[in-house]
Amino acid sequence: MLIRIIADLLIFVGAVFATAGTIGVVKMPDPYSRMQASTCVATLGMLGVMLGALLYAIFVMASASAAIKVCVIAMLIFVTNPVGAHAIVKGAYRHGIRPDKPMEVDDFRRDFDE
Amino acid sequence: MRKTTFPAVLATFVVCFLFWLLLDFSFKPEELIAGAIVSLAVALFSARFFIHEKAGWFFHPLRLIKLLGFWCVTFPVELWKANVDMAKRCFTGCTNINPGIVKVPVDLKSDYGQAALANAITLTPGTMTLDIAEQEGQTYYYIHWIDVTATGEEAGEAIKGRLEKGLKGVWE
Repeated sequence: MLIRIIADLLIFVGAVFATAGTIGVVKMPDPYSRMQASTCVATLGMLGVMLGALLYAIFVMASASAAIKVCVIAMLIFVTNPVGAHAIVKGAYRHGIRPDKPMEVDDFRRDFDE
Repeated sequence: MRKTTFPAVLATFVVCFLFWLLLDFSFKPEELIAGAIVSLAVALFSARFFIHEKAGWFFHPLRLIKLLGFWCVTFPVELWKANVDMAKRCFTGCTNINPGIVKVPVDLKSDYGQAALANAITLTPGTMTLDIAEQEGQTYYYIHWIDVTATGEEAGEAIKGRLEKGLKGVWE
């Protein structure tokens, strides 16, 4: 019973961070900041839910294979997410997308003046 | 195109086979043999893309423990702090941000270490690696930062100080 409560709490924390990230994606002013906010969903949002699912798989379902699969899912998201995020941001910058309000510090533009 | 070397194939084979065991999770001999054959085929074709130098680097227990310590202790702490910070910004209306791209020097030498650090930075909400450049023997990252408070060395210390220290123990 206690384990169920802890698992539910972890999933709730994950959901709170996922909500924060979603609000950020909608309300942030420029594409780069939006990508930043979306990282919240993919890291702690996902991690909270996965930890909850892991506790559930170990103590309620008592199934080692389900627990390991949860770990593998978390690991795969952690490996693939930064690669995709990096590619999207760099692609957007190279494509010429700039925030409406110019960035105060922009070393990338200074060094690779386009 | 690089050549396929035997240690690289062996290392890739071991990783593939471990992954097979994790996903399949049954220890019948016929499934183990099938997994070994598939892993070997995959390793033969893909080893040259994955491993370019020091194939046995991670089969050293001390390094493995340090790497686990990084991903299970150092990184989650940083992740938690950055996430709380980001969530505060999001819940208070997304107005107190000051985005910018800073250029930060990095001391890690190994390609894999640099890739791991770049991925760790991108995973932390609030910072995101755009590009890696090398000038006069020094490696630089271009990092998009949601709240620019410093530039150059200081920015590097604020963004990746602890992460880099954690990874240095693994790759050096």
